[in-house]
Amino acid sequence: MVLSAVRQMRPYIAALIFTVVFSLTGFSQADPDPNSPTPVLLSRADSTRAMTDEGSVILSRESSRRPGESFQPGSKVTLYAAGLEFADDEGGNSVRIYAEDRNGRLFRFPVLSVGPARKLRNVHAITVWLRDDIGYWNAPAEGDVLLRLTWRGMSSNRVRLGYGKTGGEINDDTGAYPTPPESLPTRPAKQERTSEALYGYRWSGDRIRFLEQATFGSTPALDHRLRRIGLRTYLAEQFSAPYPSQDNPYPDIELKSTDSSNVTIGCGMYASGTPERDACNRHHYSMYPVQNWFMKEALYGDTQLRHKVAWALSQIWVISGSGGATQQSSWMIAYHKLLSQHAFGNYRDLMRDITLNPGMGNYLDMARSRRQSPNENYAREILQLFTIGLFMLNQDGTLVLDGNGDPVPTYDQEDVESFTKVFTGWSFCNQTCPHSAPGIVNYKDPMILTQGNHDVTAKTLLDYPNAVNRNIEPNLNGNVELEQALDNIFHHPNVAPFVSKLLIQHLVTSDPTPAYVGRVSAVFNNNGFGVRGDLKAVVKAILLDPEARGDVKTDPFYGKLREPVQFVTNILKAFNVGSADLSQQSDGVLTNLTNPLGQNPFNSPTVFNYYSPDYVIPGTAMLGPEFGLMTTGTAVARANAVNTMVFSRLSVSNPTRPLGTSIDLAELEALAAADPTGNRLLDELDHRLLHKTMSPQMRALILPAFTAVSASNPRARAQAALYLVASSSQFQVQR
Amino acid sequence: MGALATQMQHMGMVSALAQRTEKRSLDSAAGGDDYKALVLIYWAGGNDGNNMVIPNHSNGSVSNYADYSSVRSSQGLALSQASLLPISVPRMSGLTYGLHPALGPVSGGINNGIHELWAQQKFAMVANCGTLVRPMTKAEYLNNTKPKPYQLYSHSDQVSQSQTAISDTQAYTGWGGRLSDRMTPGSNPSGLIPMITSIAGSQLFTSGQTTLPMAINDANTALANVLNPSGFSTSAASVARRNAFNQLRTVDLQSEYVAAASGITELAMQANNALQTTQEVTVTFPNTGIGRQLKQIARLIKNRSALNVSRQVFYCQIGGFDTHNSQLGQHTNLLSQYSQAVRAFYDEMVVLGVSNSVTTFTLSDFNRTFTPAGTGGSVGTDHGWGNHMFVIGGAVNGGNFYGMNTSNGTPFPTLVVGTNGPDDTNNGSGARGRWVPTTSVEQYTATLARWFGLPEDQMTNVFPNLENFPTSDLGFI
Repeated sequence: MVLSAVRQMRPYIAALIFTVVFSLTGFSQADPDPNSPTPVLLSRADSTRAMTDEGSVILSRESSRRPGESFQPGSKVTLYAAGLEFADDEGGNSVRIYAEDRNGRLFRFPVLSVGPARKLRNVHAITVWLRDDIGYWNAPAEGDVLLRLTWRGMSSNRVRLGYGKTGGEINDDTGAYPTPPESLPTRPAKQERTSEALYGYRWSGDRIRFLEQATFGSTPALDHRLRRIGLRTYLAEQFSAPYPSQDNPYPDIELKSTDSSNVTIGCGMYASGTPERDACNRHHYSMYPVQNWFMKEALYGDTQLRHKVAWALSQIWVISGSGGATQQSSWMIAYHKLLSQHAFGNYRDLMRDITLNPGMGNYLDMARSRRQSPNENYAREILQLFTIGLFMLNQDGTLVLDGNGDPVPTYDQEDVESFTKVFTGWSFCNQTCPHSAPGIVNYKDPMILTQGNHDVTAKTLLDYPNAVNRNIEPNLNGNVELEQALDNIFHHPNVAPFVSKLLIQHLVTSDPTPAYVGRVSAVFNNNGFGVRGDLKAVVKAILLDPEARGDVKTDPFYGKLREPVQFVTNILKAFNVGSADLSQQSDGVLTNLTNPLGQNPFNSPTVFNYYSPDYVIPGTAMLGPEFGLMTTGTAVARANAVNTMVFSRLSVSNPTRPLGTSIDLAELEALAAADPTGNRLLDELDHRLLHKTMSPQMRALILPAFTAVSASNPRARAQAALYLVASSSQFQVQR
Repeated sequence: MGALATQMQHMGMVSALAQRTEKRSLDSAAGGDDYKALVLIYWAGGNDGNNMVIPNHSNGSVSNYADYSSVRSSQGLALSQASLLPISVPRMSGLTYGLHPALGPVSGGINNGIHELWAQQKFAMVANCGTLVRPMTKAEYLNNTKPKPYQLYSHSDQVSQSQTAISDTQAYTGWGGRLSDRMTPGSNPSGLIPMITSIAGSQLFTSGQTTLPMAINDANTALANVLNPSGFSTSAASVARRNAFNQLRTVDLQSEYVAAASGITELAMQANNALQTTQEVTVTFPNTGIGRQLKQIARLIKNRSALNVSRQVFYCQIGGFDTHNSQLGQHTNLLSQYSQAVRAFYDEMVVLGVSNSVTTFTLSDFNRTFTPAGTGGSVGTDHGWGNHMFVIGGAVNGGNFYGMNTSNGTPFPTLVVGTNGPDDTNNGSGARGRWVPTTSVEQYTATLARWFGLPEDQMTNVFPNLENFPTSDLGFI
């Protein structure tokens, strides 16, 4: 009796100990339930036609008006939704209303206001404007349209609305049923955290999703660890973990002559065409060692988050080896060190250090820009691509529009010319810096100023409310002026929403709601301690946001296409990647997998990165940056990369691929052998690759296909199953 | 079903592909007399037109070589007059202009380049062409009395505007895509591949509202392999896997992103079936990026009958024109690659008997500043505006300049910078020789679209701002 009581108590005791230990270590932070409720759009009692009121019941403060059958294009309509459990600062810009017309075209109706519905508990009234705000198609076809509400990555049911008139041929979703207010379940009391929760982070779908966002992919070991310590503790660890991994330090590569055939400080000491010459060129005059180091860190490094954020930053602040622009691996390494150093630092420090980095100085020509012959390249791109973008933004990332409804440019050509003057006079430190050496251009130490080449005329910089350093006095030292000018940019109101949205797109989702951008942007503006630009706080806000978190996301517009690097590393890491013979770690030489998919790491085609953050998927109205790399050709290349990883490997190919790369199918093979029905194998693939989002339909297609392979060949079964999951569009989209 | 999936069903392209096995008739005009193709060769990065076509005369009534040299020689960017390849230009009263020497025979070249096509009247130039919302003078530019293209001098925006032919607002579709939207139902009703093909990845130019482009690798990959999934065999297990691989694209389309990925993959798989048996071209193409792209295009054109297409639009590009530094060598190299590849392509079209049906033309981000940036070996140029475009093909009224006149009464801009330069955007210290275009991108491209067969009543659907300009037929084709 006593014993059984103790046994019953055991979980609680364990939980108590667990809690105490973590409290003592100081970084224990409870992980709340990550799941947001599923919103419900209300309909009438007898049909799926939306419950509506004409106009705005919120704004007019009138009692419920007579519901209309159809609504004029351009008019305002109030819809009703249940299940929106808003946080304190959450409002109308967290909700989106999508409409599909009978032609299958997609529109989005602007949400004008959201507020508690009168007389209906736990229901919100949502007033929308019946005009498309995406602008891809002209206007919906008149007739019934289907409306969907999305919120925090969750989708409502769809209800019917007469746009212009009722009728027309559009069918309700399969299984749709009326959702009148009286059909709503009484809202259950907020569930208390059960003791079970204290054992760890039990939301397995969210756990894997988090790892896809914060790392280069989940591994079984990392998944297990995260289950134990939770997301917040993991983040706290990541923010202070050493980088790079001890056994994978940055390659220490010396600067070489810019003339690769130089016989003392180039590679000319080796005869042309010899293996030694090729090795020297590969090591010094290509991105090869950077790529391999990068991939090894992605596959095996412990400080995944810093590596991931630095990778995202490298796709915003782009320099590239393409076309030999960034000629030497050592230049790129010096550059990457800044990205990783500042990944959890302050954006303003990143701005200065990159501006003075010689690799950037070369790539965008600042190193050659003198007052006598100025070059506008860097001035233009730091504004357009790295800090404020082309158009004025609200703090939630939406465009500021002028009286005509047009976007407002952030700067003009005169601003570019002013900043061009600011950035004149800087060049390589070839004589007095630690890495200066005869015959070498110093691409490691920051650039230095030659005041005589600096334009000392007065300059007028960016104007915005309470603009910092709008006017630069004449005859200043270029160092002083640089800091003033960078402050002028850094305090521009666009920086927070511009950078926040880009980072959200790289880590979480292609088309975040304005509310999500706004929440992150607010943290960029002030980390809670009055500091602007704290990237650690920004990254944390991005990853812990309710729009990022949750076991299942049902919003059709949620997520992002896995970029090629992520696509490849996610698959490899999920299955214990090693060298070709699995005797040791992979050599990280993965370009044969990523390049045909359109992403050759550190060799972006231009400063505009491999894909544009504004890319709209052809034939749709959807923002999908990574889809810029998804064409008929690369779609097939993705399937073929999966074929290589699953049915083959990257074999050893000396000298460029000394160890090769292979996944380890042993675990999957064992599951296939243990369960001839194939279900356990498929469950495991569902967990590791799809965080349990595999639909019954997908399952019904895959299961018979791989069990068509003889049960006596469990390896071939595992391969067939893995191929089908990993090559599917369902996996290619991280959602 | 997600909206995109529904959308895909509405696309004539896909439904036509689905029926291809039924109807593979050669009785239509496809590949026969009515065939036409437009080939856009995009000069990515902003090609320095000012060093591509240069006055090669000393006539004082318009800008001459000395005017060019006086601005470009001191910093080391001027080409010597002796090196220029002469072309005679009736529109300029028969004066001689000079092409960059890389556009003729070059060391290591495999053909004579495009220079000699000028005299054969297969090669025309549209002068001082650029993005415009409506016609604009220097004074109007400076006074802000007329709308300007948004974000002039910015790469990404000027690329977009060149490829969308819309300069007053951001657009999601390219004019090639819109042309394909309008022309596909009438011209390629049973096409086995999309009307529009890119050999350089996804490009705004190729995106239509209702038609999707095909994008494939260059000629290093055989057509039979460009869209072919590997690793399948005829074993029962492999067939089961392949069927599932295909059927997976029909489920989970509630996610619009999944639907988009599946839609693109589906298009690839359908086109793949049509590309399995194709014939090789005969002319030797240079082994450069642009050479291989044009060779792949030539292969598709050669196989037009089997692919059941009577109209095709192609996109290919040559990058590296953003010559902020070290321009001279780089520009020579790029122009020579362009010229060699286009000449090989033209010759192949002659061999195929379709040189009168296939027209190559160019676009670029912008011209470059007439005044150089930097000096000596590292001399380069910054971002400019109005530029010169090349059109080559048997249907071209070649050997002449085309476009709207500048204030000097000819289409070629006055090569004077600053206050005294009627075509420069600026006066004073900001003046760098950025020419205000006199011919808009839509005037230039609408001329091509009309030749291609776009009906008059659909012109403004493809080029919404066309009516802002006095003519949409520049007469070069």
